[in-house]
Amino acid sequence: MASKAVTTMNARDMQQVSAKQRVVKGAVQFFLYAFLILMALIIVFPFYFMLISSVKELAEYRQTVQTLWPNKIVLYNYVEAFNTANLGRLFMNTLYVGLVSTILSLVITVLTAFAFARLEFKGKNALFAALLGTMMIPGELFTITNYQTISNFFGLKTLGVQLGSQWLQDVGNWKNTFTVLIVPFLVSIFYIYLLRQNFLQIPNELYLAAKVDGTSDIKYLWKVMIPLALPTLISITILKMMGAWNSYVWPNLVANDEAHRLITNGLRNSFADSTGDVNIPVQMAAVAIVSAPLFLVFIFLRKYIMKGVSRSGIKG
Amino acid sequence: MKRKIVSLLLVLAMLATSLLLATSCVGNGPAAGLSEFEFDTSKPVTITFYHTMGESLRAVLDKHIARFNEIYPNITVEHKQVGSYDDVREQIKTEITVGDQPNIAYCYPDHVALYNLALAVQTLDDLIAATNTVTRADGTTEQLGLTADQVDNFIDGYYNEGKQFGDGKMYTLPMSKSTEVLYYNKTFFTEHNLSVPTTWEELKAVCAQIKEIDPNSIPLGYDSESNWFITMCEQLGTPYTSATGSHFLFDNEDNHAFVKEFREWYKAGYVTTQAISGGYTSALFTKNPAEDGNCYMCIGSSAGANHQIPENEDGTFKFEVGIASVPQANKEAPKVISQGPSLCIFKKADAQEVLASWLFVKYLTTTVDFQAEFGMASGYVPVLENVTDNEVYAAELAAANGYESLPLLATKVCLEQANAYYTSPAFNGSSTARDEVGKLMQICLTSTEADVDAMIKKAFKDAVAECKYQAGE
Amino acid sequence: MVDGKKSWKAWLYLAPAIVLLLIFTAWPIFNTVRMSLLEGYNAMQASAGVKFNFGFKNFVDVISYGNFLDYLWNTILLCFLTVPISTLLALIIAVCLNAIKPFQRLLQTIFFLPYVTNSIAIGMVFAAMFNMVGNNFGDPNELVITAGIINNVIEFFGGERINWINAGSSYFHNMFVMTVYIVWNALPFKILVLLGGLQSVNKQYYEAAKVDGTSRLRTFTRITVPLLSPMITYVVITGFIGGFKEYSSIVGIFGNNMGPTGDPDRLNTMVGYIYKSLSLQPGRASAAALILFAIIFVVTLLNLYISKKNTHY
Repeated sequence: MASKAVTTMNARDMQQVSAKQRVVKGAVQFFLYAFLILMALIIVFPFYFMLISSVKELAEYRQTVQTLWPNKIVLYNYVEAFNTANLGRLFMNTLYVGLVSTILSLVITVLTAFAFARLEFKGKNALFAALLGTMMIPGELFTITNYQTISNFFGLKTLGVQLGSQWLQDVGNWKNTFTVLIVPFLVSIFYIYLLRQNFLQIPNELYLAAKVDGTSDIKYLWKVMIPLALPTLISITILKMMGAWNSYVWPNLVANDEAHRLITNGLRNSFADSTGDVNIPVQMAAVAIVSAPLFLVFIFLRKYIMKGVSRSGIKG
Repeated sequence: MKRKIVSLLLVLAMLATSLLLATSCVGNGPAAGLSEFEFDTSKPVTITFYHTMGESLRAVLDKHIARFNEIYPNITVEHKQVGSYDDVREQIKTEITVGDQPNIAYCYPDHVALYNLALAVQTLDDLIAATNTVTRADGTTEQLGLTADQVDNFIDGYYNEGKQFGDGKMYTLPMSKSTEVLYYNKTFFTEHNLSVPTTWEELKAVCAQIKEIDPNSIPLGYDSESNWFITMCEQLGTPYTSATGSHFLFDNEDNHAFVKEFREWYKAGYVTTQAISGGYTSALFTKNPAEDGNCYMCIGSSAGANHQIPENEDGTFKFEVGIASVPQANKEAPKVISQGPSLCIFKKADAQEVLASWLFVKYLTTTVDFQAEFGMASGYVPVLENVTDNEVYAAELAAANGYESLPLLATKVCLEQANAYYTSPAFNGSSTARDEVGKLMQICLTSTEADVDAMIKKAFKDAVAECKYQAGE
Repeated sequence: MVDGKKSWKAWLYLAPAIVLLLIFTAWPIFNTVRMSLLEGYNAMQASAGVKFNFGFKNFVDVISYGNFLDYLWNTILLCFLTVPISTLLALIIAVCLNAIKPFQRLLQTIFFLPYVTNSIAIGMVFAAMFNMVGNNFGDPNELVITAGIINNVIEFFGGERINWINAGSSYFHNMFVMTVYIVWNALPFKILVLLGGLQSVNKQYYEAAKVDGTSRLRTFTRITVPLLSPMITYVVITGFIGGFKEYSSIVGIFGNNMGPTGDPDRLNTMVGYIYKSLSLQPGRASAAALILFAIIFVVTLLNLYISKKNTHY
């Protein structure tokens, strides 16, 4: 690895440098760590605040002087958070939506990125630029129209009502289905962009050689490009799952029934009491519960996220 | 999944020719032709009901849907908690544009005004007046409309809320209500021989007394700045808004004067509000009075009474709470705000759906047992004067004390002031006015500008301008 | 060059994405333009059969709105504060992380933690940290009960407590809190991208610099930054695009008041205006969104232009 090369360099250098230089180097390292640890503390502090608040009794949380460590650690906030929302069901729904949309999204992303990275067609650059352009549009605006679209898919529902066809009405109305949570967000320009950048890094010679051998595009894509871009694909998977985990506005609008409700909505609804003030410790516990799986996934698969996302910048 | 794929393919075929079809096909069904008031009890009909009920309230609702189904087995009620009141409004607003609204919804008056832009809400006058009978499953009959007794049993202020839309028509029936009440630290009041204020002058005097006894306290917490402003207009008889003509009338000398007066209260440290204290003032009220910054009085929602219980960790209580009506400007003509959800029915092409919805709404709003049980579970005030016909409810009400049973104690106060309820006019933009006067109070109380009169004048002017802008005037 | 058959194949690959984009992206954009050009458009009235005049009134309404310039200024200021600060800080942290061995992984993980959080929830945590509890701030009979953890820290080091976000707080301090919060939120992604870039930079450049005895600062400005310029461009552009859409972070700190008590909407932004108008005035909301889009578009082009001039390989 590259870092190893540096270490050996350093080791060789070390024999030659004077003690004074060693002190300088030590001091630099000390400041590096001091700075990084300070920054890390700043980053971590809000999480710490959330966690200690989630194990405090309500009375202690409301104390005039905030305690930095709970006088008494209680876990019933978590129990209450878990019971208030039907968390088991919410987890399953979210997992299902996350998995299906990830798989479909990956297929579409791979095909599209491949076309943009390797195939030649008229208007390619213009189309790609247009796609990137849509990333600049405030997403709130899609919501209004998209809601109309899925409630009455191209007028099919109205047509169904007119023709008296229940089947057409069902086809036209996507509300309260998993489909409506999955389909509208299958295409992510950002992921296509990421993967295209990744595909572009694979030397064109490989593709040309494959062409000469008579390998089909699909086979080449499957045998060569996908394995090479695996870290990016894994990152996309994780990001997409995270998206399902954190999405709120759209699911709340279109699929907020018991059978399809996702985790963020479930929690929000359970704690959106119509009156009175919020029990912050319980709310913090709920936020902690919801965040925990993401944190775990993140910590275990950090490597892939890093590889995937960082590669995207290379030819930016 | 399969039918979605089919639909996707269909779309592919249609895409080139019919991009605009979606809008042209969108629209509401025709308004229900209610010349026929005959409800067909043999034909199955499904109605949907949107609300904000939490789990415990849904349990009460489910229980009574089962009872309702014994009477009308052919009506299936599907209900769902959409989220908060705002979520209900947003969801229905979008649904109306594709003609897909529910049959019944929890609503506030300004929601109804919004839905009515699309003429989507069913007026209830004809239904209320309908005298023909419907035969129930057990062979008994009921009058389709409301009987004179049923109308009488409603608390007047709550019932009249359904007619606040400027055209004199009835659009909603009250579901469960709340109002503002004055919570006070009874232990402290008794100890220092303070009398419970009934007018604003008395309140000011009590604040001054409390400030002398405990300088590090804030005697009064007022939760809602908007309610404060609107209630003052109502009590003083000064203009606030109008459902017809020029809507925003609140920029006048009388209103400037009371806002300036309350600013002086704030500057003297007598009062704080939800926006100023950064949270419901119940948190200040239920604090240990020995701590700084506590409130000895709190004007807040009767439905939030549970949050006013000053309970210690060990289950004991810090003090006894008393509950009274809010102070008045004129004791002879008391005015208290009426809040809490009503029910509205949406127009549908199928008249049977509308009639089924009406029967269900009528059941929820006129059935004493449901109102009593819902009131006990929610802390909201039942809308019926004869709710005490329910024995359990009457017994609980009689036993209410100033410690753990504050919701019932608050309800008792609410039922006693049944003649004092008012609602402000509802029109498209009434919620903007409500928000803006709340912000106005916030600005006028806390501003540190040297020229107070000029500051107040400007704040009023800005608020009216903002209301007009948002309303598109 | 492009033969017909191959082109046809490419479109086949693109078909699923194109179909979905047409339905869920292109059509909404078209519809937005349509709504922005219908005077006083309102979907509710439209569904009741009301017809609207065609014209530019919505755009005029947006621009002539009394607070429009304030909202625009807030948006721009937040962008120009948070993007450079977070990029620079992320760059420094990434370089530092790249220069250490022990605990590198642990620290990396910590720096990425904010990436996996819900911004409104964490916003509440930030608000609680800066929030003062009390009454009459800034008045002679001020009553401060809890100064907030941040002020506790300041007082611990002998400083004066500061009114960050409460009634009577200054615009400067409000902006300071917003900047801290947004930077905190934006750091992980930027560190991620920049560190990834650093780790793929050819080590020979550094070795050469070392042999030449180049100073650390000079190595940083002359080698690291130029080599990283594509990634820097990338994070700056995405940062600006996100920055112009700033909204939920302000709700997180200040709630729907969008400003401190006594000065509501002080920190409101372009997207805040869109949300505010969405319910009653969707035509204006659409017009404002198109104006915002135009601004973002121009800024992105400018960014690309500048980076093209300065990008080195």
